[in-house]
Amino acid sequence: MAKIGVFTCWCGENIARNVDVDKVSEAIAKLPGVGCSMNYKYMCSEPGQSLIATKIRELGLTGVVVASCSPHMHLKTFRKTCELAGINPYLIEMANIREQCSWVHSDKEVATAKAIELIGMAVEKVRRNHALQPIRVPVTKRALVIGAGVAGIQAALDVASGGVEVVLVEREPSVGGKMAGLSETFPTLDCSQCILTPRMVEVGQHPNIKLMTYSEVEKVDGYVGNFKVTIRQKARYVDIAKCTGCGSCWNACPKKNKIPNSFDYNLGNRGAIYIPFPQAVPARPTIDPDNCMRLQSMKNGKELCGICAKKCQTNAINFHDEEKFVEVEVGAIIVATGYQLYSIKKEQENPRIKGYAEYGYGKYPDVVDSLQFERIISASGPTGGEPKRPSDGKTPKSVVFIQCVGSRDNAKGITYCSKICCMYTAKHTMLFKHKVHDGTASVFYMDIRSGGKMYDEFVRRAIEQDGAKYYRGRVSKIEQVMVDGERKYRCYGADTLKGTPVVVDADMVVLAGAIMPSSGVTQLAQKLSVGYNEYGFLSESHPKLRPVETNAAGVFVCGACQGPKDIPETVAQASAAAGKALIMLSQPELTREPEIATIDEKLCAACGACVKACPYQAISIEEIRDRKGNFIKKTSRVNPGLCMGCGTCVAVCPSKSADLIGFTDDQVYAQIESLADVF
Amino acid sequence: MNAETKSTDAFEPKIVAFVCNWCTYLGADLAGTNRLEYPANIRILRLPCTGRVDFNLIVKAFEIGADAVLVSGCHPGDCHYTAGNFHARRRWDLFRELLDTVGIDLNRVYFSWISAAEGAKFQKLVTEIVDKTREMGPYEDYKKLVAES
Amino acid sequence: METELRNAIRKLLEEKTVDVAIGYGRVGVNGAVGATFVTNPDDVDRLVWNNECRQNLATHLTRAEIKKLGKPAIVVKACDARAVVVLCNEAQIKREDVYVIGVVCDGIETADAAGNKTGALMGKCLSCVEHAAKNVDLLIGDEAAAKALDEKNAPNAKSVGHYEKLAKLRAMSQKERFEYWREQFSKCIRCHACRQNCPLCYCNRCVADKNRPTRIDTSSSLKGNFAWNILRAFHLAGRCVGCGACAAACPAGIELDLLNLTLANAAEDQFGYVSGKELGELPLIGTYSPTDKEEFIR
Ligand code: SF4
Ligand code: SF4
Ligand code: FES
Repeated sequence: MAKIGVFTCWCGENIARNVDVDKVSEAIAKLPGVGCSMNYKYMCSEPGQSLIATKIRELGLTGVVVASCSPHMHLKTFRKTCELAGINPYLIEMANIREQCSWVHSDKEVATAKAIELIGMAVEKVRRNHALQPIRVPVTKRALVIGAGVAGIQAALDVASGGVEVVLVEREPSVGGKMAGLSETFPTLDCSQCILTPRMVEVGQHPNIKLMTYSEVEKVDGYVGNFKVTIRQKARYVDIAKCTGCGSCWNACPKKNKIPNSFDYNLGNRGAIYIPFPQAVPARPTIDPDNCMRLQSMKNGKELCGICAKKCQTNAINFHDEEKFVEVEVGAIIVATGYQLYSIKKEQENPRIKGYAEYGYGKYPDVVDSLQFERIISASGPTGGEPKRPSDGKTPKSVVFIQCVGSRDNAKGITYCSKICCMYTAKHTMLFKHKVHDGTASVFYMDIRSGGKMYDEFVRRAIEQDGAKYYRGRVSKIEQVMVDGERKYRCYGADTLKGTPVVVDADMVVLAGAIMPSSGVTQLAQKLSVGYNEYGFLSESHPKLRPVETNAAGVFVCGACQGPKDIPETVAQASAAAGKALIMLSQPELTREPEIATIDEKLCAACGACVKACPYQAISIEEIRDRKGNFIKKTSRVNPGLCMGCGTCVAVCPSKSADLIGFTDDQVYAQIESLADVF
Repeated sequence: MNAETKSTDAFEPKIVAFVCNWCTYLGADLAGTNRLEYPANIRILRLPCTGRVDFNLIVKAFEIGADAVLVSGCHPGDCHYTAGNFHARRRWDLFRELLDTVGIDLNRVYFSWISAAEGAKFQKLVTEIVDKTREMGPYEDYKKLVAES
Repeated sequence: METELRNAIRKLLEEKTVDVAIGYGRVGVNGAVGATFVTNPDDVDRLVWNNECRQNLATHLTRAEIKKLGKPAIVVKACDARAVVVLCNEAQIKREDVYVIGVVCDGIETADAAGNKTGALMGKCLSCVEHAAKNVDLLIGDEAAAKALDEKNAPNAKSVGHYEKLAKLRAMSQKERFEYWREQFSKCIRCHACRQNCPLCYCNRCVADKNRPTRIDTSSSLKGNFAWNILRAFHLAGRCVGCGACAAACPAGIELDLLNLTLANAAEDQFGYVSGKELGELPLIGTYSPTDKEEFIR
């Protein structure tokens, strides 16, 4: 028999002023199954709670209704009260007679009547509540970090230093990401490699980090705490366990310095067997099968070249290498896949976004993007840090920098600000001027956005000390012209502050292209069930309160895959993601709210409607077999580790074989029906 | 069922609302915190998400004598469960078509997006629904149907 | 066509491609056409094909007693074929587990109360623009003739037959519509013949039969009948293939298919969705687009 205790709160005057609490208690006491109905000044106070607890114990209450404020305010409080008093914390419901009654209705009689109805609904609901236990999910104490740029490196090192194993996956042959290719960094002008390489080395040596370069995530199964991830290791043709990184092979390769190096954005060359840059981690080569004469000849059953294998002392080269699939079990996943620059050319991957045919990128060799310029002025770059223009290797005297190429340009399809271009363009002008003292750096910008510690000062320095010329205005087109026998790029711009056109004949043009998420990120997001926006930037769970979590439990994001950001922000976010992952992985098991969906497996027709509708891919179709293994029927089944309890499956299930614990049809219909008598 | 015994001037509309826990319920809470007064004719049922609102709940509400029904949740893109409201929106659209063919008064079925910050919107909408329903009078058609059952 | 159909089925049975053929035969006392199951190649002459083949035989594909007979071949009209597709898409059957024989259909005649044909085509046939069944293993009949019929019907497809009826209904005032259905549903005896004959009503236990809670009245009552018919139609939203089996089966003669047509029409107009068109198609309800219309939402 139900014995429900109803506790009506005055909330001081807040409720009692507009609701006649005595009348309420009296009316409720008459409802069937109500074992006690009383009111008190402050139910959430210590004496209020002990009143409830005493009654629970004294009367052996089977359910509790607290009629007070919003459940968002105190449901947790009163659940605790119940638990301490010895009944299951899910046997309590709240009736919101403050926010949704006394505070919004001033007619006391009307508000009192409404309060009685609201409590009546709660009584009918709680009568049908069940004792629930939090769901416990075991946790695999290992994390996967996808992407080994500065974000992934930081996250991996933080998690690993927290004593948890990390699998760090990077699709390129080396860790380092975009940052490894940068020259100096703003606002301190310290060299990027000097900061990053020690961390790269650390990642390669950390006992808790299993580094998998030249590898990609193929498949993700499982759920928070228990992911099974299949990683595809691409064929490298070099056994990196045997290889010592001596360099005999790549120095002997007949294709040495003949193949454009994508690490240098094709401004420098490498061989068919190569390390992308000298500080690569692992410092082990890779064979590029498209350019290796041996691998190409093998297709025709021949065995040409093979010099590298002959030079190798350790027998590390294996021309018969094949891609491998490795399965790892992890409890948490951190996505740090970074960014790429919007391709400035006319043709775009994403049809919504248009290119800049008018800037001649890809047509004029000396119109480069900012990442290429980083390589041109980097001491480790193809020119050894000497600013030389790609077309003829001459030192440019006049360089034009154009900001917001793509960014904040509705007409081109990208509305957002790429955030870092103002800063790195200022840096570019400084680095250029430090190397070419008599050079001119002209910048065309829309606005200067330099919020950040020492950032505005940095831009001022570029203008005031290093003499960069800043024009507020856009460049409408660039033409290649010959001036005194010299190839120049004529930039037709405007100075909107002066209201005059500006035409600059540049030796070289640097375009600050918009930041876009790396290629393939949406496919990865789909594997992980992580949301992304129209540009492919991954969605955090809440922009302010859950900035590194995603809606896929156990999957975290950091760095530019979530949105454009600079190095300090990326590193901070990476550490945050690592912290969140560590918090999760430090628990012996995860506990989750028990208010989730369930399926009546006997009645489920396995139509799969719920499977398709569930926003969390929490439902799958399973087979029911008897003890001997004979097939009985199919049914859908909810994974309690994944279900978030939205109830979408319940609404789409035609036979109502799906139900939502805590908000069952039984409870909800009873609540509605409780109104039948008063309506 | 006492619909017939009540005279029309004493008519107080009965509104049942199904709202999601994360936006509209909080919007209603905010209306309370800001003391935005509205008519007391509405009974709110808290569900986790509009995705949970099965069309039959609306039918049930009419069966027990509701004069109008409101279903409300987070704005598109804001659903706590990312897509519950997108699923709901498509169902509502189709369900309205069906109700229309059956001759159920669409002026008595409301759908809205009300965020946790839109206490004022909640107040305004509820007031409007109650006023409009008061003007239309009790949902006699359905009440008769029930009375004859 | 009938001979061709019989020969094809004989061959399938003889060669053991299938174990049972689900087709039409004269089964009623008065020779009414209904479902016939043939397992012996010598019995194929019991099968018929004519304009009285009203039933949608796809209903039988999900029945346990039929499943026991082994791999079936099934005779389908174009509308029935769409039901087979939906059953596949909803994982109730595997496409490769059934041999689908499509027949070119030039329209089915309605029957009067005594079961005799009236000479008038069924409403759905008047607006039919798919006379040759799709997604079949074998098509019997003249495809060119079917195409000609498709083309003949196409221009007026949405203004004749049931569409015409629906348009008339929608042109009434809301109150009149309510009264119309009130009268119609008052005739409903909740025999659930509509459900029994619907190829897509395959739930193991229908919500209408569930208590705890009782979502809708389980026995006949006016409010329960309203709730039931709304529920039945809505459960078929984006699924109903418009075969008309429900209305044809209704002993009270309620034009239930107008409700289904409302939803099918909305599905097509608003979402470009036609149920049963393609294998592998995702369901209309249970998927969404961020740009679905929402003018009606406040
Ligand atoms: S309640 Fe929501 S999250 Fe849980 S299984 Fe159902 S649809 Fe998926
Ligand atoms: S929607 Fe219902 S019947 Fe269909 S698979 Fe899911 S629980 Fe089973
Ligand atoms: S949580 Fe508000 S609509 Fe889904």
